[in-house]
Amino acid sequence: MVAYISMGEAHRRITEYLTRFSDAISSQDGKSLSRLLSVSSDSAVLLSLADALNTFQDANRVIRQSERFSQYGDILLHVFRALQSYRLKNLVESYMAFEKASNAIVQEFRNWETAWALEALYVIAYEIRILAERADMELASKGKTPEKLKGAGSFLMKVFGVLAGKGPKRVGALYVTCQLFKIYFKLGTVHLCRSVIRSIETARIFDFEEFPVRDKVTYMYYTGRLEVYNENFLAADHKLSYALTHCCTKKEANIRMILKYLVPVKLSIGIFPKTSLLEKFNLNEYKDVVLALKRGDLRLLRHALEEHEDRFLRSGVYLVLEKLELQVYQRLVKKIYIIQKERDLNRAHQIKLDVIVKALRWLDIDMDVDEVECIMAILIYKNLMKGYFAHKSKVVVLSKQDPFPKLNGKPVNA
Amino acid sequence: MANRSRQLYQPRRNNSSSSYSSYSDSTQSKIPKACNQNSNSSSIIYSNKTSSSSSKTGEFTSRIENSNHTDGDQDPPNLIGTCPFMCPVGERERRERLRDLAVFERLHGNPAKTSPALAVKKFSRTISSKDMKASDVRPVPVLEETLNYLLDLLHSSDHPFDVVHDFIFDRTRSIRQDLSMQNIVSDQVIRMYERMVKFHIISYHHLHRSSQTPNTASMSHLNLEQLMKALTTLFSLYEVNRASHSASPNEAEFFSLYLLLHLSPDNQVEPLSLWFRRIPSSVMESRAMSFARRILRYYRLGNYKRFISTTEEEASYLQYCIVEPYISEVRKLAVSCISYGGYKLQPYPVEHLSKILMMKSFQESDVEAFSVDCALETSDDGTGKGLVSTKQAVINKTSKEHNKYYELDSSRIERLCAELPAL
Repeated sequence: MVAYISMGEAHRRITEYLTRFSDAISSQDGKSLSRLLSVSSDSAVLLSLADALNTFQDANRVIRQSERFSQYGDILLHVFRALQSYRLKNLVESYMAFEKASNAIVQEFRNWETAWALEALYVIAYEIRILAERADMELASKGKTPEKLKGAGSFLMKVFGVLAGKGPKRVGALYVTCQLFKIYFKLGTVHLCRSVIRSIETARIFDFEEFPVRDKVTYMYYTGRLEVYNENFLAADHKLSYALTHCCTKKEANIRMILKYLVPVKLSIGIFPKTSLLEKFNLNEYKDVVLALKRGDLRLLRHALEEHEDRFLRSGVYLVLEKLELQVYQRLVKKIYIIQKERDLNRAHQIKLDVIVKALRWLDIDMDVDEVECIMAILIYKNLMKGYFAHKSKVVVLSKQDPFPKLNGKPVNA
Repeated sequence: MANRSRQLYQPRRNNSSSSYSSYSDSTQSKIPKACNQNSNSSSIIYSNKTSSSSSKTGEFTSRIENSNHTDGDQDPPNLIGTCPFMCPVGERERRERLRDLAVFERLHGNPAKTSPALAVKKFSRTISSKDMKASDVRPVPVLEETLNYLLDLLHSSDHPFDVVHDFIFDRTRSIRQDLSMQNIVSDQVIRMYERMVKFHIISYHHLHRSSQTPNTASMSHLNLEQLMKALTTLFSLYEVNRASHSASPNEAEFFSLYLLLHLSPDNQVEPLSLWFRRIPSSVMESRAMSFARRILRYYRLGNYKRFISTTEEEASYLQYCIVEPYISEVRKLAVSCISYGGYKLQPYPVEHLSKILMMKSFQESDVEAFSVDCALETSDDGTGKGLVSTKQAVINKTSKEHNKYYELDSSRIERLCAELPAL
């Protein structure tokens, strides 16, 4: 796997990297520096360097040869170790070395006055997360407890702290925040998002508008998702819609990710997506849900939930979709009302519970009249239906005016 | 979105690497890392000297290395306890001198005398792993025998429940403390945690039913706190165990209990939607989880009829203990709906309501008393009592603490609750 190269060639490659590294710093070239640190990118340069390091074995000597290089010894030693380990597929070693290297770089970063190195810092934040994820996979496969990603989270919190200051570096804070979100979501420790969110949204040093658009979109995507999980549909709508409108139209994969959460939110506030939208972004799992809502077809809703259960559970929208049942009931009763109006306008607003039982039975749903009464009572209580129900006559009597209030962008009453 | 637009990570439920439990127990300092099985002979005390509750598959111990060894982090090597008694000798003698003995520990009722058969190690707030001596920590077999002894006390009726509860509460907390210090993951430890969770659930049930004094309210709160901690630790044990390809037969029920404890959004520290992502599919497909998920659905949709009838039909004893406190709330919702949406001129028959809400109606009508509790009226029009509907009556949901619980009119549930289950 490690290609054969001569010691001379290895020495050359190492020296070349060292030169590029110190040049990047002395000329404040953030882009070049960032390329030298993207361990997981499998770039030709870094792969060939890793081979060289594994051949040469004593890169430390090369670093010490020149003051130009040895001034960054702390960083370089660990970067090399990270690259070597990565090449040899020792991902835990690679992560640990990279964390040390990153720590050393961040220390230097604090002293650099301008924000020239932000791009390199972004790469570091990204790599820390990716390498930690892979390290954890390695640990788990060996039956050990995975804890590197958790450590990566702690490290990035420190980086966040470094950026949360008054200078121009602060625009980098949102990117780091988004890496943190990704880590916390993966670990399931989303309650930790709260403190970063608070810092971004309430600290006076940050002006949300100053951040790069791409980071704002990511931020709103994640915070929007949190609102979905907490069932704050209005806030979720606001944030996810922001992400959608500001997302570059060419990034279809990203748009899809946003829509995956926005669609259930919109459905919960009574807004239906067009089928063409669902098809364009390959969100066909929602088609039957939308259809069920439009038709009042409870069987279809339950079937759709069952068919895509795994997917909905994994993305975390299952519970939101399940709750749409009430709106489906509303639509079903409305359809019955409309049919009755065609037959006898004067008596249409009185619907026998037995008729509803029968309608449900046509949908293969077995519900007795007591349960139907219960559902009617709930629909009225939550203002999805206006009217009253008479137990003795087993009838629901709809209000003559607006018996089925629309949600109009508001979620069903809790 | 990040420049490198990656597919959102989709955790694979079955792959243990995908999830790292967020269930950090804050008083126990860490999620149990599996113990490093040195050749230290004193560590292999997982002998045949175990109680009858040991599994048929025999002892299975995770031999998982402490992953912190490799990078030289300052993690103290795992402690292995050597104390052969339920209470370390030093503590026993000290508490005798100080007359700090619980009723159960007193020899012939003497507040200053105990014995090795009666003294049980107390929970200590101020201990750190570094200060602990191996001779003060009880090894797993001793802990199991201690647990057996403690849980047997639940069957004794010599003392009022809250005295028994207090004692077991504290002493099992000490057991958990000893276990966490030793960082062991094994089938035996898992079963011990399961039993301790069961104890807390039984207490939860008792305390909820007993009269609501400020004392029982605070006991309830503390009990719930420890219940959650023990359950959280249990889940991390399951997770480590799963990595070694072994699953406890009771996992599904305990997951269902967690879900039932978190029906209401107020109780949720972590949103349920996120919690669901990490559940193994074998658990999701279990009968226990299917029951809990249906109950969740009925709760969220407000389907009071099915919430109550499904609980009555299918709940296991432990599940029932946890669902019971919600029943009053759901009944309140039911009468609210009826009061709000019922026909004003025809009060809703109490007899029928009793049936739907499964409340007793023989001689005394619980529905009537319950309506009074909810500030609603019943009236009698000659054909029977009925609940009066007034569009105005929307009931305040927050005063659930002080409402009396009216038992479920069900012989099945009565039978379930009549005896303590095996612990």
